[in-house]
Amino acid sequence: MKNTETVCKKIFRLAGGAQCEVMASIHSSALTRFADNVISQNVASSSATFTVRLLDNGRTVKLNFNQTDDASLKRAVSSGLEILKKQKKVPGLLPLAKPRPIPAGKNLYFKETAELSPLYRAERAAELAKACKRNGQTAYGTFENGASELVIANNLGVFARHRETSAVHSVTVRDRDGFGWAEYSAFDVHEIPFARLNDTARAKAAASRSPREIKPGRYTVILEPQAASDLLCYLAVYGFDGQLYNEGRSFICGKLGKKVLSPLLSFGDNALDGAAPGMPFDYEGQPRTKAALVENGVIIAPVHDRSTARAAKTASTGHALPQPSDMGPIPLNLAVKPGSGTLEDLIKGTERGILVTQFHYTNMLKEQLVEMTGMTRNGTFMVENGKITFPVKNLRFTQNMAEAFNDVEAVSGQAVPCAAWGVMSCPAFRLKNFNFSSSTKF
Amino acid sequence: MFKLAAKAIEIANKYKVDFGDVRVIEKRSQNLSVKNGEINGLTDQTTLGYGIRVLYQGAWGFASGSRMTERAVADTALKAIAIAKASGLLMAGRVRLAPEPAYTDFWQTPFLKDPFAVPVETKLDLLFRIDAVLRGNKKIRVAASEMRFLRERQWHMTTEGSRIEQVQLSSGASLSATAVQNGDVQTRSYPCTHGGQTLAGGWEVIEAMNMLDHAEQVREEALALLAASVCPAGVRDLIISGNQLALQIHESVGHASELDRVLGYEESYAGSSFATTEKLGKFRYGSPIVNLVADATLPGGLATAGYDDDAVKAQRWHIIKDGILSGYMTNREFCGKIGMKRSWGSCRADGYSCIPITRICNLSLMPGSTPLEQLVGEVRDGIMMENNMSWSIDQKRLNFQFGCEIGWLIKNGKKTRMVKNPTYQGITPEFWGSCDAIADHGEWRLWGVANCGKGQPGQTAMMCHGSSPARFRKVKIGMHG
Repeated sequence: MKNTETVCKKIFRLAGGAQCEVMASIHSSALTRFADNVISQNVASSSATFTVRLLDNGRTVKLNFNQTDDASLKRAVSSGLEILKKQKKVPGLLPLAKPRPIPAGKNLYFKETAELSPLYRAERAAELAKACKRNGQTAYGTFENGASELVIANNLGVFARHRETSAVHSVTVRDRDGFGWAEYSAFDVHEIPFARLNDTARAKAAASRSPREIKPGRYTVILEPQAASDLLCYLAVYGFDGQLYNEGRSFICGKLGKKVLSPLLSFGDNALDGAAPGMPFDYEGQPRTKAALVENGVIIAPVHDRSTARAAKTASTGHALPQPSDMGPIPLNLAVKPGSGTLEDLIKGTERGILVTQFHYTNMLKEQLVEMTGMTRNGTFMVENGKITFPVKNLRFTQNMAEAFNDVEAVSGQAVPCAAWGVMSCPAFRLKNFNFSSSTKF
Repeated sequence: MFKLAAKAIEIANKYKVDFGDVRVIEKRSQNLSVKNGEINGLTDQTTLGYGIRVLYQGAWGFASGSRMTERAVADTALKAIAIAKASGLLMAGRVRLAPEPAYTDFWQTPFLKDPFAVPVETKLDLLFRIDAVLRGNKKIRVAASEMRFLRERQWHMTTEGSRIEQVQLSSGASLSATAVQNGDVQTRSYPCTHGGQTLAGGWEVIEAMNMLDHAEQVREEALALLAASVCPAGVRDLIISGNQLALQIHESVGHASELDRVLGYEESYAGSSFATTEKLGKFRYGSPIVNLVADATLPGGLATAGYDDDAVKAQRWHIIKDGILSGYMTNREFCGKIGMKRSWGSCRADGYSCIPITRICNLSLMPGSTPLEQLVGEVRDGIMMENNMSWSIDQKRLNFQFGCEIGWLIKNGKKTRMVKNPTYQGITPEFWGSCDAIADHGEWRLWGVANCGKGQPGQTAMMCHGSSPARFRKVKIGMHG
């Protein structure tokens, strides 16, 4: 911390009269990967990188380096100042941000999580592998932990610092031609329910053996939280990016205040004290605000950084990515409002539909429609008359997500942390008329 | 740097590891982009660090660091050994590496003009001139152009005695125009999408693209796409060109032939492969005219180097020969599983902080003998698609769907009207089996993939795919949500 502050001050001195922003990212992580019931890869890395942005009289340059001895700092900043001199002036260039009060945010740093040993990670992998071996199954997955610290500072007085830890247990189990999967990510390793995840993946693999081929077409789908979050994060990121909105490229253009999605759908971005917390400031060092995005199907507003806010004649919501950025501001701490009941209740209420554990290789076809494609994976099941009746071979969907999430039948009452573009908390969903365009061979 | 690297080898030898190596890497990159009349980014990056890999009592450990002192290197080596000891808790048998001679060598990417010596103002001037042409119509809401340059210098030492220094250099650029009207958004790019074209080489790569000469056509085609009708659905013949065929090769053959994935070592993330090892030398992957060659010696290739990160010398080999599965992308750890005594050498890491893993090498579709006019002339009802916009494939690399930037319908042997939002779907061996013509060598181009993701923790690698436009019969076209 002190060292980071010292480096920032040295960089500010070297920048002279230019406006100067420093983003310092200090990161350490370790990951144990297992496959075929053995540890296949076991790695650790640590890094400290400094990204410096210089602005002077309508000119700008960004430097990135990881050596911070005096000679390296001088060389980097001097080369940046030289590049500045060679540019033409851009009159409208946005100056750096001035300091604003940063809210406290949640404590997301847990020392024990940061310091897990390679032996601890190996033991977690071994627990699943041994259970799989005993039952003729095969374990694959990862267990990783890490700690990161981010400082955003500039010579106008901004100094914001955040640190957090992470631990993720992700398991895939193969049972002959059946596959199952479960995952949990947490800031504190003690929140991870290892045994339950292992049991879920193993049971799902056993249940998905001998899948049957079904005809592609439109089906009711029950999306487990990870599957639902995979689609909703595209809807949120491509729909509520202030830059895409300003450029007329978002599905919410011209629809603010209108009911476009299902009344059962509400989600927002809240890094401060929501279900998916994170850094209480953005990458310009501006305070994150709580942003309601969709309330009961009504579109509220996009998120903004200072640049898109200026173009839209509004205020930044504190959602900037590192500047300058090809992508605009995006919501990275999404919380979807839960409904009621359990996943089992969603299944019970289904006359005929498909239960999806997870999607694979989802991608965008048309961003302004949030039209997407992707495959089901690791446990896809037919549901008939409120019961899972048989596993099905994986299916490809091709679907407009704004339409899909206007067809919500039910939302479960429990949201769980899901892997998305940032952090996301999401419940399970049941949607009508979901379009599966083809199937695969397994 | 070899002096610093030697400290890691000293520690590895002291602990009597089965194998150990250290890669010290200095990376310099420069990215410049202009968007809508303003500099959108001008980034200059320099990083330095090292990654140490040890095979201790048959189990792997890896650690990396960026503090450039002998003491820090020694501590990192000890950390790698401690991790390897933990790996020993859950192993089936000792990992053994295929043998490879020890090399002392220097290799570098051939180039004519050092892109880092070209003044920034020269680069920006070209980008701003392109930008002005792209913005020549009010319906163009996003005009974007960019350049990127990367030089990676690596000092690699192994406990087997290899001492290899390599310098890889690449240059890339792109331009695109996005037109918006009445809720429709259409983008046209040159030379291709996803950040454009990147090849090994210097400033001459940029000069060869003649970017300014193409800006007006890009703008006009983006506008024309707004007025074009949507690609009709149906089953018809398909001719693929531009970087779309490169992506088709990449996703349905490149990743499918990575031996670590085939053996299940990627199952937890990107998946496995249908191209399992019992199929080697027997399985009909495509029609008899389909030949796909991996080549780490290919001039201009982004995966071209003297040696891979297993310290294996660069080679050229068939993945598909006359339509039959004939090889895999290998490393020294897994090649023995298919009876190979030596790795083909396709093991690479993303910078100093990542462990080397099996990667797609440069992988190219060999040209056919059909002139492009004949390729089109023999189609009664078809479509030509160019440049990738979206991609998705299942975890065994069978069912895929691609979306392209632009399409032209073909009727009775003639390329006719432009269509927008073209997509197609297929199953890999059936699709390559339907390939009945490949354009001749005069149409053959090398396409760079500069952002291939794989592994956990995620790694990015670069490689190239060469191809001429190719024709596929009776393909499912035009899926929409």
